Amino acid sequence: MSILLRNIIRFVLLLLIQVFVLNEILLHQLVSPYLYMLFILALPFNLPRPVLMLMGLLMGLSLDMFMNTPGMHAAACVFIAYLRPFIINILSPQGGFETTQKTPSMTSMGVSQFLIYAAILVLLHHTIFFSLEVFGTGNLLYLIMKIVFSSLASLFLIVLYELLFFSRK
Amino acid sequence: MRNLIIFFRRYFNFFLFLLLEVICMVLVFQHNNFQRTAYLSSANAISGKLYDKYNNVQYYFHLKSTNDSLVNENMRLHNALLTSYDSVLTAKGIKIDTVRQYSDDTLHRVIGTQIRRYEYFSAKVINNSINKSVNYITIHRGSLQGIRPNMGVISSSGVVGVVRSVSDNYAVILSMLSKSNSVSISARLGQGKEMGSVHWDGEDAGYALLKDVPKSAKIHKGDTVVTSGFSALFPENIPIGYVENIAVGDKASTSYTIRLKLATNFFNLQYVYVIENLLKDEQQRLEDSTYKLIK
Repeated sequence: MSILLRNIIRFVLLLLIQVFVLNEILLHQLVSPYLYMLFILALPFNLPRPVLMLMGLLMGLSLDMFMNTPGMHAAACVFIAYLRPFIINILSPQGGFETTQKTPSMTSMGVSQFLIYAAILVLLHHTIFFSLEVFGTGNLLYLIMKIVFSSLASLFLIVLYELLFFSRK
Repeated sequence: MRNLIIFFRRYFNFFLFLLLEVICMVLVFQHNNFQRTAYLSSANAISGKLYDKYNNVQYYFHLKSTNDSLVNENMRLHNALLTSYDSVLTAKGIKIDTVRQYSDDTLHRVIGTQIRRYEYFSAKVINNSINKSVNYITIHRGSLQGIRPNMGVISSSGVVGVVRSVSDNYAVILSMLSKSNSVSISARLGQGKEMGSVHWDGEDAGYALLKDVPKSAKIHKGDTVVTSGFSALFPENIPIGYVENIAVGDKASTSYTIRLKLATNFFNLQYVYVIENLLKDEQQRLEDSTYKLIK
């Protein structure tokens, strides 16, 4: 399967999972997990940065359309798409990651590396998104707790998704 | 000039990033205005259709509770059929849509007319959220079917929210569950008639806060809190919630903050009623012209 096709399918699949499954789940007021930004995390390594950011904008706006939050998800997505290359640079070993695998995943980066990579970006995404969401109604403790707990839940889902779809080498 | 071009090319990524973020922020802050475009919300054609399809499946699982609530409501309505009429006791107010009252004696005189004040439209809920700080409900009924922004919305058991934006066949309702200062519902106690306003505190979708009730009011647990009918959005006496507990809190304050259990069950909302106030424009005009006089 070509990389392009694979990413298009992932885009649609993640969007549907997010809108029709995750948004329906109500665990607690503080825990609202998001999985859709895995699309940005899993875009190929060699994609130029402007394209990365435009992809982030596209994904964010598509989700905003469903959730009545114009711009909020898009802002968070563009932000992590912009920072993604920095994080990958910091985490990559001396020779860069193996060239056989073209996309970031547990197999191409190693489990611990991927976890750190995902954790940083998820935390950043949630920080931006929830800050925008509760903008003006300032309750700092509530905001921080929401960011932390939701990030943990999202990270858990990302690991599950990775294990489901990328277990074979 | 050449240096400027080099500078821009060097930091092209950063400038693109800034540009995209600015676009996003514009969208966010435009959204906060009351008038907003419908194409980027769940009232648009694509997401509206998808939600509609999805709800067809989901609806099946709520059939039983939906049925129950509809039967209960029918019973209530049979008991109170004339409540949506505003009674006017002079013969001058006759309009096309009126109900005349006749005296019971042999003369059969007209003793009063009742002008229709509220009109109810039923609508199917196709999307609903309760776990965000500002929650929206999408319904399958739009401007072609008579829905306009700023109409009140109730469910079979209580207040739901206010219509915010409308497309041809869909409308988005700003749910009562919105943690924002702009969303407050004018309320009063069912028994004592003391006024207050209801806000949602953003914590539990089953509860809200009733504020600004004077301390002279006598309140008991379980008392009903209803709409006051002053806001022109909702008719009088529509239940909002039931008193759960009363926090005295600050002793210097002159008002109670009361925790309400909401009358509407937002967890399985399937049908709502959108209320059109036919006399709203008249009331609004009169109030506005009065404010101008004072200024």
